[in-house]
Amino acid sequence: MNHYLRFVLHKLIEGIPLILGVTLVSFVLMVYFGPDLTYELLGKNPSESDIIEVRQMLGYDQPFWWRYLAYLQELLTFDFGLSMVKDQPVADMLSRAIPVSLALMLPGFVLGNLLAVMLAMAAARHRGAWQDRAIMSGAVLGMSISFLVIIIAFQVIFASSYGLNWFPVRGWQVQDAQGQFNTMAYLNHVTVPTLATVFVSLGYNTRFYRAVLVEELHKDHITTATAYGHKPVTIMYKYMLKNALIPIITRVMFSIPMIVISGSLLIESYFGIPGIGLITYEAIMAGDQPVLKAVVGLTAVLFVVVLMVAEILYQLADPRINGGSGT
Amino acid sequence: MLSYSSSTNSLWAMAWHQLKKDRAGIAGLVIVMLFLFISTGVWLGLWGNGWSDTSAQFNAHPSTSHWFGTNAIGQDIAARGIYATKVAFEVGLLVTLASLLLGLIAGTLSGFKANSKTDSLILWVMGVLDSIPFYLFVAAVAYALKQHLFAMHLAMIAVFWTSIARVIRSEVIRIKNMEYVEAGEAIGLSHFKIVLNHIIPNTTHLLLVQGTLIFVSAIKTEVILSFLGLGIKEGISWGLMIAESTQDIQAGHFANFITASGLLFLLVMGFNLLSDALQDALDPKSIGKS
Repeated sequence: MNHYLRFVLHKLIEGIPLILGVTLVSFVLMVYFGPDLTYELLGKNPSESDIIEVRQMLGYDQPFWWRYLAYLQELLTFDFGLSMVKDQPVADMLSRAIPVSLALMLPGFVLGNLLAVMLAMAAARHRGAWQDRAIMSGAVLGMSISFLVIIIAFQVIFASSYGLNWFPVRGWQVQDAQGQFNTMAYLNHVTVPTLATVFVSLGYNTRFYRAVLVEELHKDHITTATAYGHKPVTIMYKYMLKNALIPIITRVMFSIPMIVISGSLLIESYFGIPGIGLITYEAIMAGDQPVLKAVVGLTAVLFVVVLMVAEILYQLADPRINGGSGT
Repeated sequence: MLSYSSSTNSLWAMAWHQLKKDRAGIAGLVIVMLFLFISTGVWLGLWGNGWSDTSAQFNAHPSTSHWFGTNAIGQDIAARGIYATKVAFEVGLLVTLASLLLGLIAGTLSGFKANSKTDSLILWVMGVLDSIPFYLFVAAVAYALKQHLFAMHLAMIAVFWTSIARVIRSEVIRIKNMEYVEAGEAIGLSHFKIVLNHIIPNTTHLLLVQGTLIFVSAIKTEVILSFLGLGIKEGISWGLMIAESTQDIQAGHFANFITASGLLFLLVMGFNLLSDALQDALDPKSIGKS
């Protein structure tokens, strides 16, 4: 156990330069080279002393490293001050938006990965046959359609009077009049975004998982199992899927920070759903620096943390993986 | 020396031979060439130059004078789509070439000096850049550059080179342990000469495959960024067309949307097919896998 503890500690220490790096980049881009906010906070015809006072409040008179440390402190304490546009604490805005984004993106994320693993297994089992070719051609087709196009087209098809008109065009009214969570209302609002997320990820995921499974197929123990006359289905589930779990889990974990932000940015801004994506989109449009520096910094740190946790989990799952990194 | 050059020739000859048999790959190549032809024509001023002319025919249906109809202010959608092809190629080529160059330099340096301080520094920079969510990074760059004309291009290059550098790095590590590199060192060639004449030429097939992948990412990303208002600032692009088409769609006019997304789909599809075929033909590791 001592060995594991040392390993965990080692991994955590290894993550520190990365965290410092990502925070430094977001600080330099968003704060240091970001727009000068002095005159945004001042009234008309400010006096010399007003200007100096606001610049002091914003920390513009401080040296570079001091301001960077102040930014780190903001990240550590989740205290980013008030949004320039909404006049609310950024932390409150984020804590209200995160559950919405999770509820919105999770079903599509889970379904997209499950369906992809199933399709990839079917393709790998019938490698080279027409089933494989059909699935893989479908994957290339799916990969070639822009996410944006899918979102717009699905909204027209499922939620407009030019199409089926089954679901609401936009919004996120998932609570009933008493403020209680309503499952039917949730399903009503989440379906079209979910379909779009599944559709866009299916092609990439299927190709990735098929490659992983085919790699497994060429391993010696599979050849042995086949030679012993085990049924293909047994081999698929019992021997292959189990060994392919590590790359599958890696992919799933690494896409979590990305879907919370990048995926929801388009979906939420287009469907008008009040999650992290919409907040970020509005902050980009309005140049709302406190929100942007919070979102950029926090997601980057979250990604590094996920990376470290993933490596620690592998070690626990498979003692053969040693602490080597880089290559 | 002689055997080295003939072996590269045979790699390319074999790859071409295999590519010719790959029907999907050839289809991809034809599509890409067709789009390249269209955008060269725009660049030479042969067609697509009336993309910003307005007319009195608003939201017209497709006809012989307007192949794909007109948009809400009477502009010819076909001309806009064709002109946007040139913009897509400009973005794709600029981002791809710059990312390849940067990735090649960084990857070769860190691979040749593997496990040195330089290597760790380059790996750290790549780790940092890969950890920042892409669209936010672009937004941050656009913010820092105060909506500069090339903010989007710079942001894409800053992110895309890392994947190339990683591929090149591991290939360079593999090559530098080969006997002919040792032989080069033994006869006293400088490191610079070895890298330039004997290592980099052996990574060109990887650069070609990676280049097609970057190109696809660049044009797909341009569309999303332009839609979000972070992309193309001058001229017209498929992303800007899709952005303006969201208004038309609500009124039941789909020509703008279908034209822009259809052209985008065809070009991305062509590149995807070509990229797959190139990978099959050029990547020795893929031989034996079906």
